[in-house]
Amino acid sequence: MLSRVAERVYWLARYLERVENTARLINVHTGLLMDLPRDVEIDWFTLVTIFDAEMFYHANFEQINENNVMQFLLAEPNNPISLLNSLSAVRENARTSLDILPEETWEQVNELYLLVKNEMAAISNRRRRQQLLLTIMERCQTVWGILVNHMSRNHAYHFMQTAKHLERADMTSRILEMTSLLMAENRSESMRAAEGILWTHLLRALSAQQMYTQTYSSSVNADGVLTFLIRDEAFPRSLFFSLKAIGRYLWPLPQSATTLEHHQKIMSEMFNENLKELPAEMIYTRMDELQAKLAELSSQISQKWFHPDRSVA
Amino acid sequence: MMQLWRDYDPGEFYDELMHDQHQPRHFSYKLLDYLKSMRKEAFEQRIVDSELEILERGITFTVYSDAGNIDRAWPFDIIPRIIPKGEWDCTEKGLVQRIRALNMFINDIYNDGNIIRDGLIPEEVVLQSKGYRPQCKGMQPAHGIWAHICGSDLVRDDNGTMYVLEDNLRVPSGVAYMLENRKTTKRVLPELFKLLHISPVNDYPSHLSAMLASLAPDDITHPKMVLLTPGIYNSAYFEHAALAQQAGLILLEGADLTVGNDGYVYMKTIHGLERVDVIYRRIDDDFIDPLVFREDSTLGIPGIMQSWREGKVAIANAPGCGVADDKVIYAYVPAMIRYYLNEEPLLPNVPTWMCRDPHQLQHVLDNLADLVVKPANESGGYGMLVGPHSSEEQIEAFRQLLIDDPNNYIAQPTLKLSVSPTSCGDHIAPRHVDLRPFILSGKNNYVTPGGLTRVALVKGSLVVNSSQGGGSKDTWIVDDSHFGGLN
Repeated sequence: MLSRVAERVYWLARYLERVENTARLINVHTGLLMDLPRDVEIDWFTLVTIFDAEMFYHANFEQINENNVMQFLLAEPNNPISLLNSLSAVRENARTSLDILPEETWEQVNELYLLVKNEMAAISNRRRRQQLLLTIMERCQTVWGILVNHMSRNHAYHFMQTAKHLERADMTSRILEMTSLLMAENRSESMRAAEGILWTHLLRALSAQQMYTQTYSSSVNADGVLTFLIRDEAFPRSLFFSLKAIGRYLWPLPQSATTLEHHQKIMSEMFNENLKELPAEMIYTRMDELQAKLAELSSQISQKWFHPDRSVA
Repeated sequence: MMQLWRDYDPGEFYDELMHDQHQPRHFSYKLLDYLKSMRKEAFEQRIVDSELEILERGITFTVYSDAGNIDRAWPFDIIPRIIPKGEWDCTEKGLVQRIRALNMFINDIYNDGNIIRDGLIPEEVVLQSKGYRPQCKGMQPAHGIWAHICGSDLVRDDNGTMYVLEDNLRVPSGVAYMLENRKTTKRVLPELFKLLHISPVNDYPSHLSAMLASLAPDDITHPKMVLLTPGIYNSAYFEHAALAQQAGLILLEGADLTVGNDGYVYMKTIHGLERVDVIYRRIDDDFIDPLVFREDSTLGIPGIMQSWREGKVAIANAPGCGVADDKVIYAYVPAMIRYYLNEEPLLPNVPTWMCRDPHQLQHVLDNLADLVVKPANESGGYGMLVGPHSSEEQIEAFRQLLIDDPNNYIAQPTLKLSVSPTSCGDHIAPRHVDLRPFILSGKNNYVTPGGLTRVALVKGSLVVNSSQGGGSKDTWIVDDSHFGGLN
């Protein structure tokens, strides 16, 4: 497999996962804000902070309001992680990997891109926007369905799955950062009153509510949610599951030993300590660290398989 | 839908589907009956469906223009063009005969030069061809074949005779669009395939792959085969990707390849370097090897010409084969067929005046307003004069060009190109068409049944190139042996 092609399908999968996660997060967040009293510490801008995109936001918008935040996260050309930019990256990578992806992949991706691009004019309309986000999630699932059901388990597939789980772990860790708001000692009364809704929201942002309820037939609470989203071994969006999957898909790649060692180190650092006993702000720090480690793993993958000629050693 | 056809009149032109204003040809009445039985709205819906289909499948080509490069949806007319199988069988034989002679010619001029020595073609005609590459002298590619993939342009005049207009031997494009056109017709007009037996075209990629495999060096049984593209900004990138996908070739760019110390060609993979045996290249000779041709080329692979010369890698089409893709050389093809094959040409050339000959030049200058004048080495319809459609100033400008540089031009009569019914907004009208079949030559020959029909969408226009506003049609070879009746 060509290094360049490996790089393209890797990023195709990462962006595809990012598009779906972004759509789900915004969709769920909109639902949450409808339920919350106005004076809680969570608002539209919380979304921007989840993506660590405050700087880009302020460079493009003065006011913080629903319209601007949505414009920024969905359509803004100057926001490198806006949904439309991510989707466009999926499309460009699919267009340049036509020869190794199942035929329908490109068609689906192209169709989705054209649809989203056309609908972007209507995103200030909440109803239309929510509808669009649902469609985006469905279509992303369709693309994954094609890949999983039509693609040989070759290296292209391994790279795509590695990328998907890496991106997913990144997103889960970002959503877990919100726990620092939810568990802050000095959180407001309204926040305390809305706790049940908020923890449920966290689950829903990761499509985890139903599986959580099946696993713990108890009410939704901080302990349960943290344990489930971080350590659950069966739920495919928990940190543990995603990180383990990264290792599984890295393993068959050629000369993967050093990368696997690095991966193993991330795993043990992450799961050897009991996160739920940490104070809230420490969870935030751990998640931040994890994102940095994942970024490093990604650049190691790039150096190893995509640009071996650029590596210094 | 009858009202769409009410004013249909091919006039003085040969119509591919109509015998005259009212009477369909014997092989097209089923198609036309069906189309005419549709309600206007239903027909229009099918057009919308086909446009959507093409947009969603991302079938595009790029137009280089002043306004930057634009990705345009592939222009497709849903009314197919039909050629009866009996006629096509003869055309196919003629195409194979022609490409055999052309390959023998290329092999000859880079080796023994018999045809020059025997005085059939002047040496300076060969040397003036922009595609002539002295670096290829002495090469003997597998099976003696240089032009492995050829796209010949065929046109019909007003009495129905099919002529070869040109032989595209360098990097002919269009075959993926032929495949896409058929897929689109199958999706938007599936009923038609019940009415007629239409020769399938979708096995082209497997013939391509088999032909390429027959070129592999060192008798390798499972050669590594790649398609070399200039990249996503090339106008035919869609085709490169589609062909690679369908023929099982690895799609790559020059930067993905390197020539090893052992002289073999390698690609850069996640496993390290892997040897490549056959390269289907879609970049011009000029860019293929900066050590041999253009030094400033970043698309090519330094050293690849040496690998090719040493027989360590096969390249299709072979470097240098463009020597025969020249409008002056074209004029000699019938002579080549007689010389190499000792056969009479089955497909005629369009009569051609060579401006390098002073007598012929005089004739051309005297009749400029009636002729088509073409530069020897351009493709895509650029830089030509269509006398009857040009202003006095344009004609005078060309007169000067001809006098200054006669060797670079040929002239042909303005053919009354055939027409075919084409959907033009609120009515169906006759529009001029040509046809580009694709011929594969390796160990064996293969000709696509039909090919890519291009159509000039503007009334009266003869320019069918998609880069200049042309469209395309699905082309059907239909078995008419049981239809009976008169043509």
